[in-house]
Amino acid sequence: MAEHSENQNRVTGDCGSPEHRAHRRLFLQGAMASGLASAASFNALFSVPALAQETKKRGKKCILLWLCGAPSQFETWDPKPGTISGGPFAAIPTSIPGLQISQLMPRCASIMDKLSVIRSMSTEPSEHFQGIDVLTRGEQPRPPFTRPILGSVVAEQLGQLDSPVPQFVLLEPCPEGNEFKSFKAGNWAGWLGAQYGPVRSGGEFAIPDILKPESLSQLDHEDREALRSFLSRKFQNDQQSQAAEGYNAAFNRVKGLMSCAPLFDLEKLPQADRDRYGPGAFAQYALQARHLIENGSTFVMVANGMPWDNHVFQHEMHQMLVPELDNILFQLIGDLEDRGMLQDTMVIAMGEFGRTPWLNEARGRDHYSKAWSLAMAGGGIRPGVVVGQTDPLGFEVTENPIDNRRLFATIFKALGIDPKEQYDLPDLPTFHRVEGNVQPIEELLVG
Amino acid sequence: MLKPPIHNPIARLAACWLFALCTIGIARCLAQVDAARIDALIDAGYAKAAVQPAEVCSDQVFVRRVYLDLAGRIPTLQERKNFLDDPSTDKRIELVDRLVQSEDYVQNFADTFDSLLMGRAPIGKIAERKKLWRPYLENVFRHNRPWDQVAREILLARPQSPNQVGSVWFLYERNDNAQAIAEAVAPAFFGIRIDCAQCHDHMIASEIHQKHYWGLVAFFNRSKNQKTNAGPRISESAIGGFSDFANIHGSSYPNVLTFYESKTIDETRPEKDAKQEDSDELYLPRENPDEPRIPKFSRREKFADEILTGHPRLAHAFVNRIWAMLLGRGIVHPFDQMDSAHPASHPELLDELAKAFIESGYDIRSLVRKITASRAYQLSSKPPAQANDPATFAWAIERPLTAEQLTRSIQIALLQQANPNHPLLADLRDRMPEVLPETITTDVGDALFLSNNPKMDQILLEGSKPEGLIGKLASNPDLKAGVQNLFVTTLGREPSEPELDAVLEYAQKRLAKESAAEPITVWRNIVWALIASAEFRFNH
Repeated sequence: MAEHSENQNRVTGDCGSPEHRAHRRLFLQGAMASGLASAASFNALFSVPALAQETKKRGKKCILLWLCGAPSQFETWDPKPGTISGGPFAAIPTSIPGLQISQLMPRCASIMDKLSVIRSMSTEPSEHFQGIDVLTRGEQPRPPFTRPILGSVVAEQLGQLDSPVPQFVLLEPCPEGNEFKSFKAGNWAGWLGAQYGPVRSGGEFAIPDILKPESLSQLDHEDREALRSFLSRKFQNDQQSQAAEGYNAAFNRVKGLMSCAPLFDLEKLPQADRDRYGPGAFAQYALQARHLIENGSTFVMVANGMPWDNHVFQHEMHQMLVPELDNILFQLIGDLEDRGMLQDTMVIAMGEFGRTPWLNEARGRDHYSKAWSLAMAGGGIRPGVVVGQTDPLGFEVTENPIDNRRLFATIFKALGIDPKEQYDLPDLPTFHRVEGNVQPIEELLVG
Repeated sequence: MLKPPIHNPIARLAACWLFALCTIGIARCLAQVDAARIDALIDAGYAKAAVQPAEVCSDQVFVRRVYLDLAGRIPTLQERKNFLDDPSTDKRIELVDRLVQSEDYVQNFADTFDSLLMGRAPIGKIAERKKLWRPYLENVFRHNRPWDQVAREILLARPQSPNQVGSVWFLYERNDNAQAIAEAVAPAFFGIRIDCAQCHDHMIASEIHQKHYWGLVAFFNRSKNQKTNAGPRISESAIGGFSDFANIHGSSYPNVLTFYESKTIDETRPEKDAKQEDSDELYLPRENPDEPRIPKFSRREKFADEILTGHPRLAHAFVNRIWAMLLGRGIVHPFDQMDSAHPASHPELLDELAKAFIESGYDIRSLVRKITASRAYQLSSKPPAQANDPATFAWAIERPLTAEQLTRSIQIALLQQANPNHPLLADLRDRMPEVLPETITTDVGDALFLSNNPKMDQILLEGSKPEGLIGKLASNPDLKAGVQNLFVTTLGREPSEPELDAVLEYAQKRLAKESAAEPITVWRNIVWALIASAEFRFNH
């Protein structure tokens, strides 16, 4: 038992030393004593740890625009105009001399010096579920162990666990989405434990019960919790109850989380901002992601079902989807920069693989994981870099192939998380944050 | 010499009573002997771990605990009083005897086993289960059916009598998915998880092989759901179901009929690519046209007769699960991963309990009775100094109430009676689906639910009626008596002095004229604070 908890502490960052524990116990006793002493007013019990303005701003954060279904590299970052792979769209020059991207992305072209692109992604799975699994966890599965998803790791490593604002948020209005639907039903936080799983919001997934019943006055609501907390803490201390400790900790977060309810309310965002991002759900939730990051979340993943899986009428579909993405990235990066947050906030736009250089009979592009592209910006990523390249028809990576491991090592390193650290958990073989001792992509890291 | 028959009806009744009393007396006595053996083996564990166990809990702690465990709810005020006032020295085991005979026990165990065997389900599925499966489960516990027979009925799924028809539902709900069936059978009846042996031999429990997974699948892969005039049934084909499975090294093996810690059933495998012809020859003559025909070589029957019957794991798994239900963790923990990676904390105890369970004829009630009679069950939940390993069972491990237990207990507290289908239940079950969780965690969503959900508000309004707890408190001018009564009703104990002072002070402040609050509102706040307290939320 004792061994277990120390092992867990190593990962969660609590050193587990006796002094640490003694301090905590004293703190609990202190809280209890003050609870008794101030029973007359109960006011002491109302206080919730204030949002520390400083911690709110410090530390790296990440927004993952999850382009589920897998977008085409040809219609985004790696156009091959005039070839049989290229499709009907042209390539346009960007703010980086000599670099061209798809004509469907004029706004990103204008800020290309703030973005970086990997054109040489080369990964294994070419089916959605497996691809989503590997590109959100960073590694092939090894049952029965479940590796935590990127957002859980980042929230665990960089998050403020005592913050009222949820550290890992999944903004996803869509309950459907084929394989993504079954993936969403799976275990996200893996061996880190459910507390590092995402708070899900968006569409009908508004956080349930986050508002008090209208029949209850604010005073009554606060009275209730003050009394509950008083009685439950007494029980926790008298019985040395670990179950009550966890229970009371959850209630401690209620007031804070309720105070965050406006953060999850799209209607509360300025209309001008909403107009700039555009009317689509993906765009609106990308804006909300910015808002959450500004207010203390550490990792926000934005998704919207699996719209990018264009096996049919690829060009027509991408003609709708890519310009929306183009604008979202443009607005998001611009907003973060204006707020002085870009250097600490990484934005990633990627799917689970790319699409074939050829068209199928339905004029769609099928799954292709051998050579595809993604884009990143901010948060420790050096801007204006293009990593790797593909052959003239986009069949193969010809330079600097990047797999899921090197991608994750780069993301972690840029965010200040050690990619080589070992997970040392009970009943677990030795796992590393990134397996295989791979190197991050140095050229992508800010010096 | 033959005894003269008793003709006098009163004497006959008296004799029956005497016989019944003796039987109960003997059973009780046996339970205590068995409990003493449990105590001895648990004591040996304390000595080995050098821990001093906690004190035996008080009667008022015991009565709450045992009602929650057996009746699935806290006791009413009257039930509590009856127990506390009972002068008998055997009153704890006597209470257990009454409870395991009660309808509350039937419902509570049916709730728990529904979750353990079928998993939590959305409300639509639960409505479906209510037709056949739920009455079957209730019947099992109402009539204390032997567990080995129940397991056989469920896995053979050929009901022989009207009260067995629900037994088909375990397979039927899995909808012809033989892998889902295998993955459910292993933990439900054998206490092991085999899911990850689908692709390779188990990584951390190397005795669980890939062939066990595919063997178990093969026993069920000729079975199909069939709607008959007699209701849902599971038919079985006499042919097919042969395949090979490949391991991660690429080698390939046939899915022969075999299972973990058991034998391999002989079966002629057709040549590769040979086509099998289905024909009436391969089936037994039909006795009942409404029932599916039965193959002469039935894989399911082979499983029931030759793998399940007498399988050493059947009793071990059941005993370990009941132990986990009553003591908060299994002798092997988690209770459904009884493999080499999870050694038993008290292997001898597990073996003896399993052996006695078999000898008793897989008698569920007597198992429950003997565990609840043990000292380990009756310890205080406050961990003794220096004790930090829950596997020593040196104190009573706290357990969260299930959604069903919580819904009923809130109603008992508020109204002294419980509607098992209260609208709060469906929401709570979605919110808190765990039954026998491996570790206790409280999600902030649970706290939000209890704090803000309209159904919580609604149930407090029900308790605000004149005959409800809140209604009565609001009309009682004696605040102190009210608070005392409130603690006894909700938590089953008197308030301590600081608690009494704090609650009184709050009530007086809010009820003062200048505050102008409605008494009913003030008391509703106080009652909520008790019902949402950690002490109410956990069985301890």
